[in-house]
Amino acid sequence: MNWESGSEDPFDSIFMADNRFHCEAYREGLAEGTRQGLLEGMSHGKMHGARLSAEMSFYYGFAFAWKCLLQNNTDAKSRKRLRALEALAEHVQAFPHDDPRHASLQPDVEKARAKFRQVSVTACPGFRHSSVTGQELVP
Amino acid sequence: MAWVKSVSVVSEDIFDEDGNDIILQHKEWNNNMSKRVKDGYRDGVDAGKEASLQRGFNIGYREGAEQMSVVGQLKGILSALQCWCQLQHPGSPAFFSVSHLLQDVSRHEEGLIERMKMSMGQQRPPPSVGEITEGVEDLGMEHSSTGCGGGGCSKEDCCREEQSPDGGPAALQAPCQGNTHPALSAGESMEQLLKSCMDLVVELGLPEELFGHLQQLSESVIDRRQLKLAQVTKTTSGYDVACAVPDVDAIGLRFCV
Repeated sequence: MNWESGSEDPFDSIFMADNRFHCEAYREGLAEGTRQGLLEGMSHGKMHGARLSAEMSFYYGFAFAWKCLLQNNTDAKSRKRLRALEALAEHVQAFPHDDPRHASLQPDVEKARAKFRQVSVTACPGFRHSSVTGQELVP
Repeated sequence: MAWVKSVSVVSEDIFDEDGNDIILQHKEWNNNMSKRVKDGYRDGVDAGKEASLQRGFNIGYREGAEQMSVVGQLKGILSALQCWCQLQHPGSPAFFSVSHLLQDVSRHEEGLIERMKMSMGQQRPPPSVGEITEGVEDLGMEHSSTGCGGGGCSKEDCCREEQSPDGGPAALQAPCQGNTHPALSAGESMEQLLKSCMDLVVELGLPEELFGHLQQLSESVIDRRQLKLAQVTKTTSGYDVACAVPDVDAIGLRFCV
């Protein structure tokens, strides 16, 4: 219905005004809500993405550096450590931790944490990283 | 709103029987309509938020993840080096240098998170062209004039190889507090930290693969900074400033100002 031309019939504008006001305001609110939602969502998403990425990147950097340091060692213990480090680095690279829509993000993150615990115990006894305390993910 | 008034006038014409009644009806009408308007607006805001929150979250998530990727890796590398030094050379100067640099990287990481928290609390409106221009100036070229020896750094010789007092490697000295110098953008601080780490890797004679990886990270930081700078410059010369909001936020421009 064309509301502008509806003013020709005064009864129409009265009876339908209720609906018209609601619709007009709804449209305005929808635009504002979309803007607000986008900003709020971005802000929250950024924080969660940053935290998780910092943690996963930490694991990758840790594994990569240890791999470089141990790569020339040929003893069995070092080989075993190397395998664990490679597994951690590969796992972190294998899943898209920067994609909140990734279906198995939480299990993959937990798996990376578990692998890191294992690696840090064997590669560096006594080392502990605050990220391993566990963080709740918000998909 | 204009249309509320226009319809009220129409109703006045139709029910013009009794002055008092009209005033009452007018008030009631206005109340009802303003309630409808408020309800509609609120419903619209709710619906809009619900529809766009997830989209915004996904965009922000990627942005945040990208922002922390390098600093996270650097922290991991330095933590591994710290462990290695602790096992190989406990109590050596190398161990303390690595620990010191690790502290700086951790501070940088915390700073980035803090900035995000601040921006979360503020939810500022889109920045003006003036703000962005100031940001570009800070992002750009204060680096050469306010390097390590700038006002925020108490040690004149820190991070300066040629001024190493004992002739030892510069990387083994206390890294500069200027890494978190407010005049430097996040990207520039990151570049400095990566450079310090590369120096350290060379001094300790660590594998070239590690050096190469750090170099790659450094290049990616430089590329990203230049890309952002180009985007911001393009935006300030264009007409759609609002489109630049996520990018400006991503590189922490608003915090440099």
